[in-house]
Amino acid sequence: MNYRLVSGFETHVELATASKIFCGCSTKFGAKPNTHCCPVCTGQPGSLPVLNKKVVEYAIRAGLATHCTINAVTHLDRKNYSYPDLPKAYQISQYDRPLCEHGYIELDSGKRIGITRIHIEEDAGKLVHERGFTYIDYNRGGVPLIEIVSEPDISSPEEAREYVEKLQLIMRYIGVSDCKMQEGSMRCDVNVSLSQDGVMGTRTEIKNMNSVTFIERAIIYEAARQREILEGGGRVEQATLRFDEATGETYVMRTKEDAQDYRYFPEPDLLTVVIPQEKIDEIAAHMSELPVQKRARYLSLGISAQNANLLCRYRAVCDFFDACLKADAGARHAANLIVGTIYAALPTEEDKEAFALPFAAEEFAKLVKYVDGGKINFTLAQITLSEMLKKGGAVSDYIKEEDLAGISAGELESLCIQAVAANPAAAADYRAGKHKAIGSFFGYIKRATGGRADIKAAEQVLKRLLSD
Amino acid sequence: MAIEKQQLEHLARLANLEFGGEELEKFKEGFEEMVAFCDGINHAVAGDTSSIRGVDSRTIDFEDLREDTAQPSLAAEKVLSNGQSSNGYFTVRRVVK
Ligand SMILES: [Zn+2]
Repeated sequence: MNYRLVSGFETHVELATASKIFCGCSTKFGAKPNTHCCPVCTGQPGSLPVLNKKVVEYAIRAGLATHCTINAVTHLDRKNYSYPDLPKAYQISQYDRPLCEHGYIELDSGKRIGITRIHIEEDAGKLVHERGFTYIDYNRGGVPLIEIVSEPDISSPEEAREYVEKLQLIMRYIGVSDCKMQEGSMRCDVNVSLSQDGVMGTRTEIKNMNSVTFIERAIIYEAARQREILEGGGRVEQATLRFDEATGETYVMRTKEDAQDYRYFPEPDLLTVVIPQEKIDEIAAHMSELPVQKRARYLSLGISAQNANLLCRYRAVCDFFDACLKADAGARHAANLIVGTIYAALPTEEDKEAFALPFAAEEFAKLVKYVDGGKINFTLAQITLSEMLKKGGAVSDYIKEEDLAGISAGELESLCIQAVAANPAAAADYRAGKHKAIGSFFGYIKRATGGRADIKAAEQVLKRLLSD
Repeated sequence: MAIEKQQLEHLARLANLEFGGEELEKFKEGFEEMVAFCDGINHAVAGDTSSIRGVDSRTIDFEDLREDTAQPSLAAEKVLSNGQSSNGYFTVRRVVK
């Protein structure tokens, strides 16, 4: 039998607005329980929701960034279910007329993962189950979400990883969410099925995944589990699963038997929203550069593909790098120093995402410009940068004006003569045809000048001296 | 309009309601009346729905939506005063096994 993995994603992304979707309560994470609540977001009778403009704007941005069509007329619907995380016993969401439809995300291979739809909705409260009780915090209830539904176009765990990482990066670039999976501001439900010789199989859904690594593992595990069932002549049962991070296995939460029946209907407390085309155009015109566009721009500046990829992985790094470029720093040296020296000082993903440095981009740009102008060599720049990363401060605290005077041609000539005189054995080796021996003189010149000498120029002088 | 007992049980389960056998019978009657009333509306407009205002008859322009500014919330004691709570959390009987 020929099995093929078929996977689709439903991704919830919390929007970085100041207030909730239907009331003025704050969306700040980490407050004391039930302190960001009001009659609207706790579902008190008689209270009415009022839609937040920024939620619609952010969702439109997300739609435009993923090549979706924006529906100019859109309305909200009630999704009914009773569970303690929903004080109203319904969630206000969108059913038949989502804000955005028919988009895609392109993977590095050129393959496109279709985006079926993006709709806006409210988040539910947070539940903690302890002993005989369930504890409820409604601070998260009413926080705006977009749900991004993909087509079942993903056909490997690697593609799943790339899809999630690309989505996360796009949302961060356009500034609609911080997409912190560990804090729950981005969560994925993953559908998995195996098609057999082109015939679609029954799918299962793994709920609430909050780590890219676990998503990959869960898909591998679930595909293997389904394959074993099918190869044994059995049938995969449609079910909602939970992935246990400790054991790396999936467990059934509920089967189709007790599947939800949401009884959607149009939300009567909210008006149909009409978005003029000029508004959509305006939002499009003010969109920040997307990862693919930024990468192309960096490549055009002569940065290597590898460095461009490493820079574009983090929005904060791009902002820093762009500020350096604005301060006239040379792109290639700046990129090399960031990806080499600065990344080495920021080992974790979180460190690089935050990119909190003890100096401003303009200060870093000064250092880069010294290298660009040949006033200091790259090694000295690396050493200085390492010190600045440890202690902070200005470039002038580390490099004095007199250091920047440069080495005159005459000085360099005499330095090279001294270097050759100090190491006659290497000179003899070079003259005997071992041209690598020239490297022995570089160390002498670097030490004598504190790394300020132009080694390429010195090499020319040395070659001339040694061939005489 | 006749409602199947099974349908009622399904709806009751979705709404977290428990009916005893007799209660369900009684509720069935009331429920059938409600559905018949709604059905009447359907018949009244059959064929001509032009006079019926649809969902989209009342619209709001994007610009008139609420500006995104955070306002003070209620005091936590007030929020919690209508239900059972512990340490600032609402509490209910444990909902997962
Ligand atoms: Zn509120």
